[in-house]
Amino acid sequence: MTDLTALSDALLAERSADGDEIAFAVLVRRHGPYLRAFATRLTGSSADADDVVQDALITAWAQLATLEEPAKVRSWLTSIVSRKSTDRIRARKPVSELDEERAEIAERGPEHRAIETSQLDALSSVLSGLPEGQRQCWLLKEVAGYSYEEIAERLDTTVAVVRGRLARARATVVTEMEVWR
Amino acid sequence: MTDDANDNIGGSGYSLEQLGDYLDGGRTPAIEAIEGNAECQAVLASLERFGSLSRELVSRDAAEHTEIDETWFSSLMSSITREVKAGRDIPLASADPLTTLSITEGAIRGLVRAAGDSIAGVIVGRCALTDRAPEDNSKGGVAVDVSISVLLGTPVRGAAEAVRQAVYGALLKHTELLIDSVNVTVSDVHVIPTEGDAR
Repeated sequence: MTDLTALSDALLAERSADGDEIAFAVLVRRHGPYLRAFATRLTGSSADADDVVQDALITAWAQLATLEEPAKVRSWLTSIVSRKSTDRIRARKPVSELDEERAEIAERGPEHRAIETSQLDALSSVLSGLPEGQRQCWLLKEVAGYSYEEIAERLDTTVAVVRGRLARARATVVTEMEVWR
Repeated sequence: MTDDANDNIGGSGYSLEQLGDYLDGGRTPAIEAIEGNAECQAVLASLERFGSLSRELVSRDAAEHTEIDETWFSSLMSSITREVKAGRDIPLASADPLTTLSITEGAIRGLVRAAGDSIAGVIVGRCALTDRAPEDNSKGGVAVDVSISVLLGTPVRGAAEAVRQAVYGALLKHTELLIDSVNVTVSDVHVIPTEGDAR
């Protein structure tokens, strides 16, 4: 059998769109870890991430023919994972709870970040400490590249709420990461 | 940095929230009070950097957990196999008027891929099937358009012709399709030899 593991994303996506399951399996193995990492950050749960990514990949398989730029298959997959993750988030949490973000802040203090040894570790810690709604907005904006409008639609809220959450997330990130500037 | 400082960055009159909006708007139209203010510039640079670091962070998470759970993988692949991309049925010529034979587009694409991949240095990309009505310069039937990637160094013209013949031959042998034409386009070049190229 022809070995496809060295092929470009574009070629694998084209073959997958035409029904080549082996090519799709190569894409899954290549990008699965990234998609899972993103879904874990977004949903805050690795168990949810496994389900969400599986669900997203099944959807992707069915819709591959609609992918216009096969070379950008990873960002296309990332956006499907974003959609499935936010579906999951909406299903498990009543909207009112999402607004009670401030309560979570009291649980964390700045001292646990003093020992971070790298900028990435520090950012990881700051993002993990953000209230859930703020973290989701930050990740959808910065990692998935969504607009305010898209984030509002995905999280079933308003653009004003997204703007506010993003502003608070940014204030926290800039302030707490100041030593790394 | 205090909350008060976030309301008026570097004495520019702009808050951190406004700087974020300005950044999201692509920094146009340019605002002199922001572009000419060192503290604002530093904050904008930080916001951009922490954005790109966030993407790096996800990549790092992925690099630390590269293993794929095989149970998860098998379950995914069996769901996908159930959802076969059969496509439409294409009727085949039949000697018996009471019998209708057909083959799915998916099956034809599979044959085309296998035939093209069998040529040394070639990997098939897309395969499009189009019905053609008979015209003056065409006998009608199915037009097969195949895009291929060739291994760097493979003579392109020879590879394309070999693919054309292999695809034509495979379809004649296995399908009884009325074939209008087989067109091969070289759309990509790949560098690393794959197992199939070693033959």
